[in-house]
Amino acid sequence: MIGYTCPYIPVELLAATGLKPYCLLHGDIQLSQDGEQYVRVDACPFVKSNLTHILNNQEKFAAIVGTTACDMSRRMFDVIDEMTKIPVYVLHNPRTDNPQIFSDEIDWLKSELEHLSHKKLSDDILAIQIDRWGKLREHFRSLDNKRAAHPSVISTSLFYKTATNYYQGNIDALPVVTETISDKPRVYLVGSEITYESSALLELLEQELNIVGDFTCGVSQFLSITVRKKTLEGIKQAYYCQPSQIYKRPNKEYYDYIKVQLETRKCKGIIAWTLDYCDSYEFESRRMEKNFGLPLLKIRSNFSFQNVSQLKTRITAFKEVLCSRS
Amino acid sequence: MFKELSPKKISMSEWSEQFKEIDTKTIKKFTYYNNKDWGVYLSPPATFMVYGVRELKRLKFDNSLASLRLWGFVFNESERLFRAKQSGKKIVATLGDLGTIPTIVMAFPDCIPFYPECIWWTPFFNESTVLLDTASELGTPEAACFSRATLAAFYKKAYFPKPDILFASSGASCDDYSCIMQLVEDLGYSPIWLEIPYRRRSRSYFTTDEYERTLSGLEYPKRFEHYLTNEYKKVWKEMAELTGIHDLELLRTSIKKVNRLRMLVEKIKELGNEAERAPFPALEMMVIEFGNLYGYADLDEWLDILEMVYQTIRGRVQHKVGVLSADAIPIAWVTPSAEPYLLNLVEDMGCRVVETEYVIHQALVEIEEDIDPFHALARSFLNASLIGSTEERVSRIRDKVHAGKIAGVLITNMLGCSHCAMETRLIEQKLNTVPVLSIDVPAPFAVTEQIKSRIAAFVETMKWAKS
Repeated sequence: MIGYTCPYIPVELLAATGLKPYCLLHGDIQLSQDGEQYVRVDACPFVKSNLTHILNNQEKFAAIVGTTACDMSRRMFDVIDEMTKIPVYVLHNPRTDNPQIFSDEIDWLKSELEHLSHKKLSDDILAIQIDRWGKLREHFRSLDNKRAAHPSVISTSLFYKTATNYYQGNIDALPVVTETISDKPRVYLVGSEITYESSALLELLEQELNIVGDFTCGVSQFLSITVRKKTLEGIKQAYYCQPSQIYKRPNKEYYDYIKVQLETRKCKGIIAWTLDYCDSYEFESRRMEKNFGLPLLKIRSNFSFQNVSQLKTRITAFKEVLCSRS
Repeated sequence: MFKELSPKKISMSEWSEQFKEIDTKTIKKFTYYNNKDWGVYLSPPATFMVYGVRELKRLKFDNSLASLRLWGFVFNESERLFRAKQSGKKIVATLGDLGTIPTIVMAFPDCIPFYPECIWWTPFFNESTVLLDTASELGTPEAACFSRATLAAFYKKAYFPKPDILFASSGASCDDYSCIMQLVEDLGYSPIWLEIPYRRRSRSYFTTDEYERTLSGLEYPKRFEHYLTNEYKKVWKEMAELTGIHDLELLRTSIKKVNRLRMLVEKIKELGNEAERAPFPALEMMVIEFGNLYGYADLDEWLDILEMVYQTIRGRVQHKVGVLSADAIPIAWVTPSAEPYLLNLVEDMGCRVVETEYVIHQALVEIEEDIDPFHALARSFLNASLIGSTEERVSRIRDKVHAGKIAGVLITNMLGCSHCAMETRLIEQKLNTVPVLSIDVPAPFAVTEQIKSRIAAFVETMKWAKS
């Protein structure tokens, strides 16, 4: 497997090496607590969980590719580099609008992956992967359309379960999802990563609410990638021009994109999922409330579900707020 | 004229007494912006307590005239910036890069750079949580770097004048800064965003990039110089538009002056660290290091103060006298403390700071003068503490530990700060041949007995290890 962490890392390029791209999306309380052997308790629980997962499964990874997306995840690669023999490739993903840096970094990654895999990653080879992954994304887009439909016929919990195949590199079969009509209040999910271990959270939310769209790593963020030109240049363009992440500076584009999503998906409220010590979202939650103009339920977590009763009550109250407004 | 006494650390009240010995001529001699009318800044520390710097009553200061100048000048910065604005100078906020962009700004006549994030000391000096509370009301999380006070300072508009232009650097560096700057933008400011590159070390399995080394030996992919050079040219262009001046010779002159400052500070540190007895206190030494960022908004005067500091220290070293006892235990300090009192406390408990890693390595190194100035600035910034690996950050300290010059390491963390959270365990591991104490800097006016006990235990462990 080749582990990767960030939506700006082209999965087609990783897959072209012959290795299975595996998105590092681990996050649960035990993994997080175990991670405290290597980093401080106030590190992001997602980073701590992934760190533990990698250190416990070193033999499975031929290499790991990361970016400088957020400071803690960038520094996680430093720890991995110190503690394992896994080759680690960290790209500088520019925070500001700087396509040249991104392009050069992808060129660098391609060359390094060629050396790692002893394969020439020509445009012909990449085109095969672009087709494979593009087809899968197209299929997920059709599922997403059903999720966003009015009424919605696919829940995010189910969408997420199938999307796990994408993130774990199991892409040969096109997943089928059972359709169920929902008339619960329509909400949009933003925030920190939804991990492989997060299904309970989504299910809990969807007992009362209908998540009709999201912009989170771990659910559907990959849908915004469309590689039009079947070359490395096409890959660069598609990945660089995806909707802006919240940590980009300035991050106006992020807000603009979400506003459009809220409108087109006819959302009544927003769920802001924030992991402890996740600066990118914690600093922005007040702005989100102000900018989106919709009721916002902020859920802050360290992946533990010790407060599940309280959370249930908050979700129910949020639902009541949304219903009273319609 | 003031007669220098034998060196020691004295309280604010003692300074007030001692200040009576200073004649008016001496007081008037030292001015900021070389302005004899309103630029006088020499006053006893008690003056600033009147303006709200309440911690002064707990702190101890060096008893030299150089120290008095240093403190008067540093505490006077807010007034200085407002005066600068009133008198028509351009005020330039340089956020996030800690040390390089001011070199460009200072090349332009009557342009004053400053670092709004240096306001992080204010809640501690003022023993007040007003700025931190306001920052929380504006949306910053409680568990974040104390530099969140910056946001509140922008909001309150009372701590520094409205900048004529803001440069905000983001990228492969601390997330807290980047997030704070984004919230500052939301207050209606329009920063010019700049990219901070990642200093990726070469590895045995890398085959592609051509690598270069900085003057202090840190590796980086050569093309990253080019990215940074472009960013600095962008700063130059903006400043040229703001001022109508475009003379690269001014930049070369600015680099020379900044180098003079950096070399002088290096000399001061070396002299102090190698001396038999600590000739100057750790708190003043931290203030001196941070002066490298921007000369506290008046580089000429700051240089003059440092010349005096240097002479004072040299005299003390020659006479083998100092402010701490000869058996003070030499330690390294990693990550600066927002709480100045901690530096006093650690010395009072028997330590002597002989090496530091205050996340501003980029501001301490020499800038090359014989190459293109933008290129030179890029190469100097590539020494930055926070853009590379932990190994690179602490290797200097480890060398000194191995050489037997450091008996222990103190790390001061901020809860929720991205680099502290991720680096501290690694640093502890890398330096574990000597005792390492890692503490969280508490909120203003909240140094507890527990922290004191931990420092005491650290000192005992070092003593035991030594014996």
